[in-house]
Amino acid sequence: MSGLETIKIIVGAEKEASRMLEEAQRKATEIRKQIDVTIENQRSEALGSAKQKAAEITERAESEGKSEAEKFERESSGKLRELVTNASSKKESAVKRLVELVLS
Amino acid sequence: MSETAKFTEDILLIAREKAQSIISKAQEDVDRILNEAKSNFLREASEMIKNAETEAEAIRRRQVSEARHALKLREQEEKNKILTEVLDQTRKRASEITVDENRYLQYLTKLSVDGIQEIGLENVVLHLNAGDVKRFGGEKLNREISKQLQKPGKVEFAQQPIDTAGGVIISNTDGTIRIVNTFEQRYEALEARLLIEAGKLLFNE
Repeated sequence: MSGLETIKIIVGAEKEASRMLEEAQRKATEIRKQIDVTIENQRSEALGSAKQKAAEITERAESEGKSEAEKFERESSGKLRELVTNASSKKESAVKRLVELVLS
Repeated sequence: MSETAKFTEDILLIAREKAQSIISKAQEDVDRILNEAKSNFLREASEMIKNAETEAEAIRRRQVSEARHALKLREQEEKNKILTEVLDQTRKRASEITVDENRYLQYLTKLSVDGIQEIGLENVVLHLNAGDVKRFGGEKLNREISKQLQKPGKVEFAQQPIDTAGGVIISNTDGTIRIVNTFEQRYEALEARLLIEAGKLLFNE
């Protein structure tokens, strides 16, 4: 092999090495570029899922609160009816006592 | 292998390793950034759910509290209805005493005597409504009052009748001092007490 051929082979190898490094730099830039999109996608997915779960939680609370309020109302309405019935039965005696007070 | 081949092989090996290192470094950077970002948005998501749970608790409490408040209002309305009915009936029933002449005369006497003692003067003027002036304005009431007073003074009856359902106004002769013992005044003065009493009797309050 002549000296010139040897130099040609080495220059060729240097070129190949340089191409390899450029290709690696291009890939690295490509990887870095994709990070924003990846983060945005994952963030959007995680927050979307959390938002849906949050909506389900409040929706369930609305429904449970409504049932609880209805239960409370049913129980208390019975007590109120009882209170009105009791008081109504005492009206006459109350009037008598108050008339006594007014005329005393 | 020739020296040249070995040399070029080394150049390419080093380049390959360096290229791999550049890509690995990029991948590591990306993984680190992604992990940091993940940690942030997962915390954000977790806070979103935590807030929803807090809100859910508030929703439950609000609904029960609204139901409780509405019921309290209904209860108060019902109580007020019964109380108003009882107080109206009391006022009506108390006024009916005027129908029973003897009983009313006793009551009117008591109101007059209380007023005369309170005013503390010898000469007083009694003011009655037109019906009572006609029924008791002469001797009848005067006689009853004299019976009950230790030192009866001079009791006159005003010419001008007063506008009242019953009872009496006791004044000095020039009308500058007045003790009002009419039904309306008595009822008004007693109203707060009657309400409390009615509450106790009807609702054990």
